[in-house]
Amino acid sequence: MNAVRSASPAAPRIRPMVIVVPALFVLSYFGARGALERIEPGSALALGVALIPVLAFGVLIYAYIRSVRGMDELGRRIQLEALALAFPIALLVAFAAGLLDLAGFHGAGNWDLPRLWPLLLLPYWFGLALAQRRYA
Amino acid sequence: MKNQLRVLRAERAWSQADLAEQLGVSRQTVNAVETGKYDPSLPLAFRIARLFELRIEDVFQPLASDLQEQS
Repeated sequence: MNAVRSASPAAPRIRPMVIVVPALFVLSYFGARGALERIEPGSALALGVALIPVLAFGVLIYAYIRSVRGMDELGRRIQLEALALAFPIALLVAFAAGLLDLAGFHGAGNWDLPRLWPLLLLPYWFGLALAQRRYA
Repeated sequence: MKNQLRVLRAERAWSQADLAEQLGVSRQTVNAVETGKYDPSLPLAFRIARLFELRIEDVFQPLASDLQEQS
């Protein structure tokens, strides 16, 4: 077992996905939102700026899938359980907000998706915490 | 499903991290299997049995509830 003991532990593969890539996306998203308020709507520049977070989210999806593929079977199970909780809750929030909007309850600053969608990430983190705790 | 993983590991003085590294899984997975919180896939169960040079049923035993047909 000496060889095993002396081997350096593998670096956790999820860390860049969890911290760096989402942080880049959040920066690009809020940066684009801030910029779009000062750019002429409908212009080519506005379109380009609006698409920057879309590209960043594409990178996030790629990094997430890569990270999940690099996990062992329990890691994948935990991700599945987190997503199984998050996805229906995200749908619930989205359609409830849409119905409330149609019903005339616009909320503070409206229930529009650009303001609402960051909340949709919360069920994933909640589900992830629950699943991690279950198998801890 | 119950298993003898903790006993087998202790007999060899392996830590959970040692075992995890040899199996190519995380320490959390080894711990979850040991404590019965997670039943490993068949390929992982075979890898575990092979590592300890045992038959799979020497490492893992079904509980009575595992053998009952689900209605």
